[in-house]
Amino acid sequence: MNKFRSYQQGKWLRIGQSFFEHRLGVIGLIGVIVVFLIAIFAPFIATPVSGYGEVKDILNSPSLEHIFGTDALGLDLFSQVIWGTRISLQVGFLVVLIAALVGIPIGLFSGYYGGWVSTLGMGLTNVFLTLPLLPLMIIAAAVLGSNINNVALIIGLFSWPQIARITRAAAAEVTGMQYIEAAKSLGIRANRIIFHHVLVNASAPILVNLTIVVATAIISESALSFLGLGDPLTWSWGKILHNAHRSGAFISSWWFSLFPSLAITFFVVSFNFLGMGMREALNPRLRE
Amino acid sequence: MFKVLQKQLIKGFITFFIAVSITFLILRLMPGDPTTMLIDPRMSEAARQRLLIDFGLDKPLITQYFLYLKQLFCGNLGVSFVFRTPVSEIIRERLPWTLALMGITQIITMSIGIPLGVMAAYKRGKLVDQIINALSILGMSIFIPWLGIMLLFFFGYILPIFPVGGGYTPGLSVSGWGYFLDVGMHFILPVLTLTIIYLANYTLFTRASMVDVLNEDYIRTARSKGMEEKRVIWNHGARNAMISTVTMAGMLFGRMVGGAVLTETVYAYPGVGRMIYDAVGQQDFPLLQGSFIVLALSVIVMNIVADLICAYLNPRMKME
Repeated sequence: MNKFRSYQQGKWLRIGQSFFEHRLGVIGLIGVIVVFLIAIFAPFIATPVSGYGEVKDILNSPSLEHIFGTDALGLDLFSQVIWGTRISLQVGFLVVLIAALVGIPIGLFSGYYGGWVSTLGMGLTNVFLTLPLLPLMIIAAAVLGSNINNVALIIGLFSWPQIARITRAAAAEVTGMQYIEAAKSLGIRANRIIFHHVLVNASAPILVNLTIVVATAIISESALSFLGLGDPLTWSWGKILHNAHRSGAFISSWWFSLFPSLAITFFVVSFNFLGMGMREALNPRLRE
Repeated sequence: MFKVLQKQLIKGFITFFIAVSITFLILRLMPGDPTTMLIDPRMSEAARQRLLIDFGLDKPLITQYFLYLKQLFCGNLGVSFVFRTPVSEIIRERLPWTLALMGITQIITMSIGIPLGVMAAYKRGKLVDQIINALSILGMSIFIPWLGIMLLFFFGYILPIFPVGGGYTPGLSVSGWGYFLDVGMHFILPVLTLTIIYLANYTLFTRASMVDVLNEDYIRTARSKGMEEKRVIWNHGARNAMISTVTMAGMLFGRMVGGAVLTETVYAYPGVGRMIYDAVGQQDFPLLQGSFIVLALSVIVMNIVADLICAYLNPRMKME
């Protein structure tokens, strides 16, 4: 047992080492940490905005007072972008939670049982991977009303297929291992095998994909907000862009759309780089 | 080949069935009176009653569902709140614009993305590979409206080469070649936007499958026979890597619809995407529902085509 444990530790150490050899992955990790720090310390960085600004402050270009400039209501954009980080993380977290709750069981059962369970589970997964989901999310958001939790719920309910597919592949591989066969012959209940042994051993690729789901979730949220389906009470980055597009000043007042867009790109790139670095570190076939 | 077609048609039919069922559920599950969602409150009482009966909104839910399916298969998508004309007619006018935009983007991204991916896989771990990887992820992560706005800013405003939106110059009375040229000029920026975003999908995906293919025995065999490296890579490697890339191309079509909605919104392009944006603002539910159904159908058809091409490329399938 001790030998096994030290082998396991060695394995994670090797994965860690090969992660840090991958430049893009490290850049992503740093970016994600920065995002979290900004979200945590938002109250110390900028005071939240509300209501309307003063007329003299409408669409001011960046200055010392407003380093990202002001919007069409005369509100400080720096503060909106900083506080938008919290909204993005909140949406990302909720989406991943919902997507994982739906996607992981479907993937696990499909991978473990195979046969018709897999045909059904993966058939459904493929249907959702094929359909144009943004128009569907638009309809759902228009019907349900766009408070930020509803938006996260809708995105989550349409984000599970990716996770289900990855989980199935990983679970099917693990199920073929001898220790699963051993567990079966010991008479351990199927559910326990699936949610303990298979899930734990298949968790690495699933975790990698969760970071990518966070990235796509933010793109979806921004898209919905940009199209006018965002929560009217929050300042998400997509919402700021919606205001910019709406005000008709998105070309003459370049700062209005530039800073929220940079924030979205920074967030998404960081999570994608992190996911990519983790994937390369975990995939033994890609390692020499 | 016929078997493949049969299988794909069944799969497509099931997918379409699920798509229309989901829209039914979403639109009926919401709190309140579904008639207010599907029938314009400002409509005359007689027209309202006729629609109520057409869609069976006075009947139990399960009957409503079958009536809804029946209406769909007759091509009746309801009446738009705003335009007061059948949804199917409005979409018929807009759909070619969107399909052209997506089709051309698809062709361009494939013909640039696949070679780039093959090159990255061949030079795996080298500088070229890392640059291609980094740029691909960067491209995927850019928020489409912003890219659109930037391209408009630089190529429509600072350097006014291209028109700042729309699908054609309104009021321009030229025909034939001139019209074609005018539409083409309006086309370039939207296509460029979608290409930058979706190129990465092909590059990364081809790279991944090419990395796998290059590890296969038949590549080693080809090399040990003394075959020219170029032929090994392109004829033996890329050809096989392309099979999975083409399968993905079908799926990418669905995701590209989302990109098209955003791109068309920024460029005020006269396609279905921009129409969806307008319909959201006006709470035009029949139009939203109709757009989704028609777009889903287009995507399903494209998937069937992609799978057929795939079957054609795959010699193992040809033998069956």
